[in-house]
Amino acid sequence: MATSTLTRSAEAAAPAGGLARPDWRAKLFNRLCLGVLLAFAAIWIIPLAWAVDTAFKPEGETTIAPVTWLIDRPNLEAFGKVLGGTEILNWYVNSAITSTLIAATTVVFASMAGFALSRVPLRARSIWFWFILAGIMVPSQALIVPLFREFNAAHLLNTYWSVVLPQVPLAIAVFVFKQFFDGLPDELVDAAHVDGASWLRVYLRIFMPLSIPAISAVTIFTFVWSWNNFLWPLIVLTSTPTMTLTVGLATVQSDIGIAYAQIMASAVLGLLPLLTVFLLFQRRIVEGIAGTGLKG
Amino acid sequence: MAEDFTRRRLLQSAALASAGAFGLTGCGSYLATGFAGSRPPPRTVTYWDLFTGGDGGRMGEMEDAFRKRRPEIDLRTATFLWGDPYYTKLSLAILGDQPPDLAVSHATRVTGYARADLLQPLAADDLARHGLTADRFSRAAWEASHVDGTLYAIPLDTHPWVLYYNTEICERAGLLDSDGILTSLDGPDEFADAMHRVKEATGGWGGMLAININTPSTFRFFYTLYSQLGGQLLADEGRRVVLDEEKAVRALSYGRRLTVEEGLMPADVDYEGAVALFASGKAGFYIQGEWEVTTFTEAKLPFSMVPFPNVFGGPYVVEADSHAFVLPRFRNPDPRRTDAALTVARGLLDESLTWAEGGHVPVWQPVQRSEAYRSLDPQSNYAAAVDNAVYHPPAWYSGSGSLLEIHVGSAVASVLAGQATPEAAVARMGRALQRLAETPSPL
Amino acid sequence: MATETLTRPRVGRRARPGRARRAHPTPAGLGLLAPFVVLYLLFLVGPIAYLAVMSLFNTSLVRPGLGGFAGLGNYAEALTSSEFWSSLWHTVLFTIMTTPPLVVLALALAILTNRLARGRWFFRLVFFAPYVIPSSVMALIWVWIYTPDFGLYSSWLSSLGIAAPSWLGDPNWALASIALGTIWWTLGFNFVLYLAGLQEIPRELYEAAAIDGGGPWQQIRRITIPMLGRTTTLVAVLQVITSLKVFDQMYIMTQGGPDFSTRSAVQYIFESGFTNYRVGYASAASMLLFLVILAVSVGWFSLVRRAERGV
Repeated sequence: MATSTLTRSAEAAAPAGGLARPDWRAKLFNRLCLGVLLAFAAIWIIPLAWAVDTAFKPEGETTIAPVTWLIDRPNLEAFGKVLGGTEILNWYVNSAITSTLIAATTVVFASMAGFALSRVPLRARSIWFWFILAGIMVPSQALIVPLFREFNAAHLLNTYWSVVLPQVPLAIAVFVFKQFFDGLPDELVDAAHVDGASWLRVYLRIFMPLSIPAISAVTIFTFVWSWNNFLWPLIVLTSTPTMTLTVGLATVQSDIGIAYAQIMASAVLGLLPLLTVFLLFQRRIVEGIAGTGLKG
Repeated sequence: MAEDFTRRRLLQSAALASAGAFGLTGCGSYLATGFAGSRPPPRTVTYWDLFTGGDGGRMGEMEDAFRKRRPEIDLRTATFLWGDPYYTKLSLAILGDQPPDLAVSHATRVTGYARADLLQPLAADDLARHGLTADRFSRAAWEASHVDGTLYAIPLDTHPWVLYYNTEICERAGLLDSDGILTSLDGPDEFADAMHRVKEATGGWGGMLAININTPSTFRFFYTLYSQLGGQLLADEGRRVVLDEEKAVRALSYGRRLTVEEGLMPADVDYEGAVALFASGKAGFYIQGEWEVTTFTEAKLPFSMVPFPNVFGGPYVVEADSHAFVLPRFRNPDPRRTDAALTVARGLLDESLTWAEGGHVPVWQPVQRSEAYRSLDPQSNYAAAVDNAVYHPPAWYSGSGSLLEIHVGSAVASVLAGQATPEAAVARMGRALQRLAETPSPL
Repeated sequence: MATETLTRPRVGRRARPGRARRAHPTPAGLGLLAPFVVLYLLFLVGPIAYLAVMSLFNTSLVRPGLGGFAGLGNYAEALTSSEFWSSLWHTVLFTIMTTPPLVVLALALAILTNRLARGRWFFRLVFFAPYVIPSSVMALIWVWIYTPDFGLYSSWLSSLGIAAPSWLGDPNWALASIALGTIWWTLGFNFVLYLAGLQEIPRELYEAAAIDGGGPWQQIRRITIPMLGRTTTLVAVLQVITSLKVFDQMYIMTQGGPDFSTRSAVQYIFESGFTNYRVGYASAASMLLFLVILAVSVGWFSLVRRAERGV
């Protein structure tokens, strides 16, 4: 179905290239483009499709060479074993809790700071601005050692807080909010001040409601980042019930030898949540990347 | 303490509030852990190991048997990847005060853990309540579980370096006596000779040793030969290097003779490759620890095993290590937890026969002395070798999967693969060891 | 701890102080800054200072306190350690292997996709979807694909009569195999950045080119690629910095092996500090990696500033 739409769209594609009347050269070129694109799309789909295919196989069918995509007895056994035999459900909840806490706190704190830098009269504003902006250049990987010692001293290792707290002060989020607030008209503030509103009120009642695009971009990105973060949770979440999904899937081994169908079932279960998020918010995510160059 | 207590209380109430907010109060014991770091009830015993493959399957059977016998204990298990990933995880878990109640460790790693204050010392009367007394363990393994006179581990097995041989091929090569048992291969020329005869019989190789990218194998091979010459690597807890260059060169030259010089063993085969080639009858001997028994049994290979030969003819020694149970340290130890963990350790020791089927030599005397174990063939053939076991020298950088193994093992591999002369490799080894010895110990 | 935190600073755009600057400073500003700044100090600025201090001591993971003073000993050890250099080299090699395909292929696919009138969403979905997959899932899938004998790629090659390499088991192949999986995993991000860049090219330029009789290839070469120059700089620098910080997929797929051929700089730090307990030494190695990444970031930042001043 998709293919037929695409073929039609290829013929209609010339105008998109800006040509008023497509000549045969352009037509051929567009056909060629579509062919190349479809070939690459196939290369990109195959690994995921192969993972899904394997997950539905009974274990005995996974180790047949040469490989086949056909499944004699497709079943859900591998999924059942993963859901029943591992702590994956805990891991889902742990990932959801930590990612939600991180995303929510980051949005609140970063927007407040961004608002202060953008609008509120502030002594040494540019020093504050550069002080926070400089944080963008600090690779979090370089800080694992001192952060671990800090949380160890505070006796907070292996709790959600150890994962959440270091991920909240995200300089880039402040920057995104400041940029966004800078773009809003000055009159908003003037009108509010005539009414005698406090800065907190201006922030809460006027700026935040107007900032849905920035809020959603920062929310989605911090959520996806923290969900996919591996190195730091690997270090601080060491007991199996508190692990996040990413850490649990990568470190906890099966003790019954290698069961490929089960491993792929856990992979499929592991990619479902964010794939769903992506499908739901595809437009916002893509716009967010385009608008800010955020990278996870 | 008081401060810690109030902080935990505060966090716990925060946890309850949040759990309520998530509507998960009913199923949230791990949520309480996540928010407040609280521990599950003492009847829950968390047990970690690093066994996958055949060993993993056996340990799973033993755990199930235990669960059936002691249903009042809620045994929860987790397996992590062998070597550094496992030991790193365990250290971090202990520092984070959420370790398992019971864990497996190599005996050679116990010293480092104990010196780092990561383990609970084991009190004799606690152990005695569970019938875990010195007289019921093999002496060498029991002694290897002590650090500075204090017991820190309960040994489960000893796994010596052994020689696997293909009985059909060795028979064709005329290496079996009238009872079908491998004749003695002690002596450098005798061992090499036997390999030559096997090589003729197979038309392929004499023996197999994992040389490529497997530093534990090359280390153990070298360490066995070098120890048979009476050589030692380190002294003063690893602060001094006592490498005997002449003996090390002799040991390496012999290894080189077997591979590049006389072509008796392939110089570039990795672990899986060595297993596969021996399993398919392309070689008559296979040199490795005893844990591949299951693989070859399942491959229906006609094979048997003997202790690794006494190549240099001195007092017999062979490299070995032990798997042992340890009790990680908690900030506030709870005697009820210790007790439950010891119950599990004892229960798993009682299943030692299952464990022994996988090749490891049990140290639990009730099993080791039993008729059932003695009749295990070929697993009981090499049981005596454990009395002559030589473990890694103690140092903060030694033990299975350690820096010592990596540095020495890769120098050895370069000789066996024909990339370096024994002299050059010994010099490299010496430099690496010197560097480690001079590094201030983090313990 | 988002792993990557660079943006396209819109330096060219005038910051808008608005009326705020003329008004008297109020405590409200500090109040609004406070929550963020407190966490920022505790979990970013503080740790950097702590890192710098620890790098001068023989600090141990399992001992309280800083341990004995080491001066610059840890730095000297790292700079003369072949393991440190080889892990840094693997990281650089990985960067060299991944950056050109991730930039060029993303650009090519974005240009092709942009020519479609319909169905763009489909390709955007296909190329971007892997990007939201957690590293551990990506690793599980690719380890399975690279499995000898009945793995997908090995099986394909052997059905073509080609002996498959031991993808992850051969030190000469492992890094390249991981790089290939990484290209599949992260290409989507660059692809989307390019698609966005393409939207900003004025249509009039193409129309003018069409009147001049330029074919599609001419258009791409003369208009599209030069107009995307800024995006390309951004994509390339983000890519270099991300690659320098690589850890996840190598640690999960091969644990840095075989024979350490895929041990990255971050993994070297991780092992020095958490496996060997040598926190002081790991701090020195972290500082060195930090400086490398900082140099790349600052270099790019000043480049962009200069370019924008020139415009």
